[in-house]
Amino acid sequence: MLFFLILAVTGLILNHGAGLGLDGRYVHAGWLARWYGIQSEPPREAFRSGHHVLVAANGRWLLDGKISGERLPQPVGLIELADIFVVASETALYLFREDGELIEKLERGALPGVPVRALGSSARGIVLRTASGVFASADALSWRPSTQRSVLWSAPAELSVSQRRVYEEALTPGVSVQQLLLDLHSGRFAGRYGPVFVDLLALLLAAVSLTGAWLFLVPRLHRGRH
Amino acid sequence: MTAGGRYGHALFAVALGLCAAVMPARGDVYQEPEAFIAEVFGSKPAPKVLWLTQDIQAQAVAILSHPPVQLRQRYWSDAHKSVWILEEVGKEEFITAGFVVADGRIEHVRVLVYRESRGGEVRYPAFLRQFRNSKLAPDNTLDRSIDGIAGATLSVGAMERMAWLALFFDRMSRQ
Repeated sequence: MLFFLILAVTGLILNHGAGLGLDGRYVHAGWLARWYGIQSEPPREAFRSGHHVLVAANGRWLLDGKISGERLPQPVGLIELADIFVVASETALYLFREDGELIEKLERGALPGVPVRALGSSARGIVLRTASGVFASADALSWRPSTQRSVLWSAPAELSVSQRRVYEEALTPGVSVQQLLLDLHSGRFAGRYGPVFVDLLALLLAAVSLTGAWLFLVPRLHRGRH
Repeated sequence: MTAGGRYGHALFAVALGLCAAVMPARGDVYQEPEAFIAEVFGSKPAPKVLWLTQDIQAQAVAILSHPPVQLRQRYWSDAHKSVWILEEVGKEEFITAGFVVADGRIEHVRVLVYRESRGGEVRYPAFLRQFRNSKLAPDNTLDRSIDGIAGATLSVGAMERMAWLALFFDRMSRQ
């Protein structure tokens, strides 16, 4: 009974998965990651600048103590400017307001070059060291080649073992709700033989339906003949 | 039962999914956004930005049915036309599209990057032609309904929302 209930409920929710945005929601639990065999990569370093701290692992960023999303790239630097702070990955630059709200994400076309090797700050603003040279910008809109020497380059700081443990828990990799429901529905959550079990249940349900119809109809047909 | 046997195919699929998650999807690139901008203007002009104030954000939420992901929107313009490169999720992945708005009407639309596994028919000119000359209606909505494509309903919806948003942003940028 419980299995049929799981099948019905998961099927119903999956049917509306897109509308409910299930693919964008994740379940983060150590036991679930272990059950799925997902290797959790412990964070090894943190970027610090002014008031801001960024620790990243498993495609997740812990920015000033708050998780700022899923499927994010490994950062290469963090800098704080007058009223914004900036995070760089190899292929994108993220401009944040002081309160952590994203102002803009700049990708290849808006960057002076990729991959971004390092992020720094100077009196003129943001400085990027890319594969095609060093560039500076005050507003991240237009970039100019830079020969400045007084650049403060962002560099990661090694985390202690205890810090790694704390951050690893916060940055546990997740499984999307859609994936989880799909695996529960198909039986794959239980492993290799889960789908076979669900197939047998489906056959059982079909047999129960057919025999039920048989038991309902046959006496009536016989009664009709006599 | 071995550990590998216990986890089975599902775990392999999730591991693959996680790899894909950590590596941003690049998708099918039909035209790089900067090439699209250069094609419209002849050369790539300096970008401008539209700051999404609370009023603009509220309207954007009404259009997209979710808050815009960022606080400023980059665009390129001259006296008559503006170009907006927008991104919106179809089913699971972002669709990147370029919109040329001239005198308050959509002049041209092109799907630049398509990352979904299905629904790529939204890039065909026969579909995109429906947006030509569309404008904002007096009630601030798109002035026409767009015919859907079987099997691409969510991508069609995303294109419709982006067209509407491009027209709205163009109006806001000229105030």
